[in-house]
Amino acid sequence: MADISQAGATLAADAPASGAGRAAAHASAEKARPPRGRKWVGYIAFLPFLLVIVGYELLPLAQLVLDSLIGKESGTFGLENFVKVFTTPLYQQSIINSVWISLVSAVVGIVVSFLAARFAYESSERVRNAFTMVLNMMSNFSGVPLAFAFMILMGNSGVLTILGEQWGIPFLADFDLYTGEGLLVLYIYFQIPLATLLLLPAFSGIKKSWREAAIILQASPLDYWFRIVIPNLMPSILGTLSVLFSNALAAYATAFAVVMNNYALLPLQITSKFKGDVQIDAATGGALAVVLIILMVICTLINNYFTKRASKGREII
Amino acid sequence: MAYIEFRDVVKRFGDNTVLDHISFGIQQGDLVTLLGPSGCGKSTLLRCLSGLETVTEGQIVLDGRDVTNVPASKRNIGMVFQQYSLFPNMTVEQNVAFGLKMKKVDPATIERKVAEAIAMVELSGKEKAYPSSLSGGQQQRAALARSIVTEPAVLLLDEPLSAIDAKLRKALQSRIREIHQELGLTTIFVTHDQDEAMVMSDVIQLFHSGRIEQAGSPVEVYTSPVSEFAASFIGSYNQLSASDFTALTGVPVPQGNVIAIRPETIGISRERPDEKDAHLVDGTVVDSTPRGNVLRYTVRLEGGTTVFVDVLFRSFHMFDRGNKVYLSLPERDCLVIPVNAASARTAA
Amino acid sequence: MSLKTKAVGASAPDKKTPLAAKIFLGVVALYLLVPFLTTLVYSLFVEWTDVLPSGFTLRNYAELFTNSTFWFSIGRTLVLCLVSVAITIVLLLLAMYVVVAVNRRLGRFMQFVCMIPYALQGVILSIGIISLYTGTGTILSNRMFMLFGAYTILVLPYIYQGIRNALNAIDANMLIQAAEMLGCGRFRAYVQVVLPNIVSGILVSSLLAESIVFGDFVLANNIAGTNYQNIQVFLQANMARSSGLSSAIVVVIFLVVAAVTALVLKLQHTSQNK
Repeated sequence: MADISQAGATLAADAPASGAGRAAAHASAEKARPPRGRKWVGYIAFLPFLLVIVGYELLPLAQLVLDSLIGKESGTFGLENFVKVFTTPLYQQSIINSVWISLVSAVVGIVVSFLAARFAYESSERVRNAFTMVLNMMSNFSGVPLAFAFMILMGNSGVLTILGEQWGIPFLADFDLYTGEGLLVLYIYFQIPLATLLLLPAFSGIKKSWREAAIILQASPLDYWFRIVIPNLMPSILGTLSVLFSNALAAYATAFAVVMNNYALLPLQITSKFKGDVQIDAATGGALAVVLIILMVICTLINNYFTKRASKGREII
Repeated sequence: MAYIEFRDVVKRFGDNTVLDHISFGIQQGDLVTLLGPSGCGKSTLLRCLSGLETVTEGQIVLDGRDVTNVPASKRNIGMVFQQYSLFPNMTVEQNVAFGLKMKKVDPATIERKVAEAIAMVELSGKEKAYPSSLSGGQQQRAALARSIVTEPAVLLLDEPLSAIDAKLRKALQSRIREIHQELGLTTIFVTHDQDEAMVMSDVIQLFHSGRIEQAGSPVEVYTSPVSEFAASFIGSYNQLSASDFTALTGVPVPQGNVIAIRPETIGISRERPDEKDAHLVDGTVVDSTPRGNVLRYTVRLEGGTTVFVDVLFRSFHMFDRGNKVYLSLPERDCLVIPVNAASARTAA
Repeated sequence: MSLKTKAVGASAPDKKTPLAAKIFLGVVALYLLVPFLTTLVYSLFVEWTDVLPSGFTLRNYAELFTNSTFWFSIGRTLVLCLVSVAITIVLLLLAMYVVVAVNRRLGRFMQFVCMIPYALQGVILSIGIISLYTGTGTILSNRMFMLFGAYTILVLPYIYQGIRNALNAIDANMLIQAAEMLGCGRFRAYVQVVLPNIVSGILVSSLLAESIVFGDFVLANNIAGTNYQNIQVFLQANMARSSGLSSAIVVVIFLVVAAVTALVLKLQHTSQNK
């Protein structure tokens, strides 16, 4: 998961380089072009990839869009399903809950991981490596296993719940994991390692001489952090925030393992329409899926914009 | 008393002594260069003066005030770093204004002073530009403006031109020198480039492994190096060992010394010259390389040592490889210098 | 405020770790470790209703390791991991040949389609495939076919990035041209000169992809469900039944993924040192 931002960054960073590379390759291709008649043979190697992409990525997407546009009742082409999605309380609630839980978990995650990345950056290499190791390991602890661990910890007869009852700590004793707030705690948990791994590289872009220049120019530590460090990290922070948001938005396994389908959450609702014990409802499911896709695409665009800006700044300076 | 005084300054990082009992003074308004190879302690001394490093022992006095334990932000110092010190989230203007804002200067004054400083470093028109869109030279100009706008007691420049290509470096050297004279600002300039030190300084402090090897005006340091190290670091002195020199000229040289001769003081001719007050030796030209307006011959002497001889590049007076030549080494230019400065001090 | 900028604090970031940093990082690390550690302890004891658990036992593990359903689900998971990652590698290597040696303009298209799964993630991918193929009555409506197809797409971004970075690092185009000058055909040059040089790059990203397939629940549950239970679905099915057994499964899953992650980090470390 940690490679997401790396992907974004490299995509943006090597755009001009690959342009030059392409020009050079083009020039040499003029010289070393294979005999004309055989050129199409080279493309055969692209076919298997193309088939799989079309069959399992592009067509399924198209199918969902198609599903969403064919009215469930009328069977005609139109926005009927979307009207239904946005007027039915359950679906409205699902969208609201999804956005709320994603937003809150992303913001809390970014605050905690900003501090963690900052302290890791100020630490010795040994401490930083050990901490990064924990992050890498625990970023894998998600989905069903994570849900189970939290049930043991904070479920109805969880260890902390029982201890909370014995010691009279109402927060622990009365904590209900099987609600939106419960899910939020879980979501925050899996956001922290991901967010910290994404933010750490940004901190290495903070130059030692900025701090020294700021000190000599009589800036206080607060001035240094709020006028120099945070503004410079802003693109990375916002980019990471959008990754976290979409990560939470699409999370399914964790939520499903805790609440099954008993909570109004977009991914849960979408899935239940295609895999319910009841009748499959591709129309409504498709429309909900398209709403999710649109939210995700917005996130990706935001992230691309910020990683591009972040890498641009670093590249030239 | 001098404007800035280093008194017996010692700096250690763990077991590593970076500054070994440094003592000297700097006069107000001077441009002083700390010159030396990398790792000799020159940057560390600058950082001790700025307050970015603390000294292990000793005292630093700035304008009559003991600043040894004064925090960096209270020393009223301007500093330009090697590179990357501009704040990338601010425009040139905002960078330059930063120090004044921190001092809570009123906005109208800030605006006027910033404009003046930017004009002084010839960056007018780039006020709204971000550092990422500036060249390395422009960035260092902006950094310079940022450090002089607060009217510091002393301006510190820590190898500010080392990351800038040769042509621009020349222009910036003279601009810094001009600004120094315009403002009369006491300036300390750290560099490892001896040409740069020659061009810019009033006084050169030559550093060698944590100590000051030699101090003086550029002319003094250039014409009378006190040690083998100084001779090899400043200019491109030919150095002959005592035994080689005695074998070639018959003149005895005390042990523990070398003979240093600058290439441009050596005469070269096809016929045996009739010169007084000069040692004559013969040799063979093995190479010649044009270096701008100077032609440098490499001449192999008897016994195998080679020396460089610089002559003005004139086409009518040239030697080819393999030519037998006579070299005249003027007696007064054959400097007898100790292998290291420490032994020189005890001898003196 | 500026009074507090002591000269000492102003010196270069010390190699020593500040106390505040130690405390904060320690708390975060602990917070991240606690759920797993609790599960580990839980799996090793009979009872945990007081501060300390009681009755150390390996019963849960004995029960798990003698459960044939567990071994079948592990086996299925491994088949899914290895086959789908292998398919993706072959598809991408073939396609990359075309990008490197025939038409570089296809690179843009490839990059775009390979990054889409990042944004889609499991839910959309699985229901799209279900909606498209279920009930078509062809071989494509076979659940296994759908599942392998879905995994192939799921790991696409990771493996694509690994291969592309490796190809960029060795300047594959230049190598092929050099081989061509020596009279070697382009495809042969790609197979014999380029591929051996990017093996380590592919290895790291493949391992990463393996751990993603290993950790997948969404695709397996949505597409195959109980028809072809992988380890995650097996865990989910057991959760309500036996928490002791489930805690042992969680520990096993985590240790496997942690081992793969450790291997990835080690490989990355050694390649960086080179």
